Amino acid sequence: MNLLNCLILAFLLFGIGVWGLMRRRHLIGMLISIELMLNAANINFISFAYFTAHDATAGALFSIFVIAVTACEMAIALAIIVSMYRRHKSLDADQLRDLHD
Amino acid sequence: MYSIPHFIIPDLILLVFPFIVIGSRLFCDYKSKIPWRIANIGLMLIFVLLNLIPLASGEGQFFISNWRVDDFGVLMREVLILSALLGVWLSKDYFEHGADGKPQMHQIAEFIGAIAFATFGGITVVSACDTLTFFLGLEIATIPMYALTAWNKKDQMGTEAATKYILMGSVATAFELFGFSYLFGFAGGLHFSEIHAAVAAGTSPLLWVAVLFLFCGIGFKLTLFPFYTWAPDVYEGAPTPVTAVLSVTSKATAIAFLAVLVYGPLAPIQEQIAPLIALLAGVTLFVGNLGALKQSRLRRFMAYSSIAQAGYIMVALLGPAEIGKTAIVYYLFVYAISNYLAFFVFGIIGHHREETFASLRGLSKQNPSLAIALAISMFSLAGIPPLAGFFGKFHLFFSGATTGHYMLVTFAVLNNVLALFYYIQLIKSAWVDEPDGHLTPLRLTKRQRAVVIFLSIGVVAIGFLPFLSNNIFAGFNY
Repeated sequence: MNLLNCLILAFLLFGIGVWGLMRRRHLIGMLISIELMLNAANINFISFAYFTAHDATAGALFSIFVIAVTACEMAIALAIIVSMYRRHKSLDADQLRDLHD
Repeated sequence: MYSIPHFIIPDLILLVFPFIVIGSRLFCDYKSKIPWRIANIGLMLIFVLLNLIPLASGEGQFFISNWRVDDFGVLMREVLILSALLGVWLSKDYFEHGADGKPQMHQIAEFIGAIAFATFGGITVVSACDTLTFFLGLEIATIPMYALTAWNKKDQMGTEAATKYILMGSVATAFELFGFSYLFGFAGGLHFSEIHAAVAAGTSPLLWVAVLFLFCGIGFKLTLFPFYTWAPDVYEGAPTPVTAVLSVTSKATAIAFLAVLVYGPLAPIQEQIAPLIALLAGVTLFVGNLGALKQSRLRRFMAYSSIAQAGYIMVALLGPAEIGKTAIVYYLFVYAISNYLAFFVFGIIGHHREETFASLRGLSKQNPSLAIALAISMFSLAGIPPLAGFFGKFHLFFSGATTGHYMLVTFAVLNNVLALFYYIQLIKSAWVDEPDGHLTPLRLTKRQRAVVIFLSIGVVAIGFLPFLSNNIFAGFNY
């Protein structure tokens, strides 16, 4: 296991996240894709901290903070999506078309 | 034990302020005005305290090595607090009755708390000295905005706007974070001085990928060209005061983020990333202006207008640090005043009619002073000479021209003519077009009247008394 392998893994995860975000039409699916992208960044931080950085704690610390921030963001996202569901009775992203030019 | 340095006191007050406002709700009944009064006093106190901080040139003052208060930071704080204060004043009426076809909002204390948290996020961004604090600041500034957009639970549009906003915003966060992780890998540390040293020592593909990801991420929040599509929908769906706060606080935070990054850790490669900035600025202001031409609803129109304004502000980032940062702060101040003036007028009209161009018809006959205020704010946003907006734009373009980007500056000035066309269309609806049928009378509360007068005088005074801006420009340096 070396740095390059970890970076490739993280990049692939990020790519899968972007792909999923564009292909999925289900709001929860889109949120999971975003979560994948954020965790890809976490893997980057951890692998850089482990292999190259001269300040290894900083990288580990950053990813812990990211987990906390992501939890806050997802809590609000789920709250908004629940209120969306109450109105439309569905979680399809294609119903988001009341606002347009 | 060490004593708390005085320059950090406003930040500390702002940090505990939302807890006090929300907490005060526990001790009084639902209709009570106490949280509202505490909010007013608190924000004004912070604003006054900020003005007492002496501007000191150079590196600024440090608090435990990670919290820096420099001149740019102090002035950005003033812009952000002013924006929060005006936003709170604008929102008050929306908690008393519904407006623009949307029902009344509830929980004013929590609303004010959320605005204060977002403001604190902006302040964290301008004070940060390492990428972790920087990232957290941006998140603190954004997360309350998602909740604010969906504040009106009974309004379907608000919920839809918030869903779009949070999906787009989270993707932007992911991009930024990916950029930060590569930047960490490149520099081997989080502190800005380490990154600065590593960037100055030499570049590598890793750094360029990091810069690209960072610009993608902040492009979403600053509504730059390929990533601006969420803005019109969110601005239209959100409650009007939230739209105003979004267009000033959120934009100021995003531009401060870029200014800190470009003039801080990335300063050694500013020349190399200038073409990227120039391209983004040029395309963004063109697209914003084109989009605004065909709008009929006021908040959607303001969204495109603010996209174009983001493009103009980006032009200043091409200049040298001192001129660029000064121009950005000055323009943000002018932009905040002009934008809030426009939103106050739209809000007053929105309380009685729909917020569309058609509702403005006959305004000059029905309420001339309101029509004059609207014209002042639109001319200022368009950058007509005697008003504040002109001097703001002048300094932005001057900053871009200092480093020889004449092509972009020419393009931006030509675009300004295009912008003038749609701003004048709006003024035309208010001044020339005849109303169709009977107009519902407009009632202004004392607060609305006072704020509109105060802001109009502000826009005119800053423009007519250019020595004010000269003093601002001569009074400090970085």
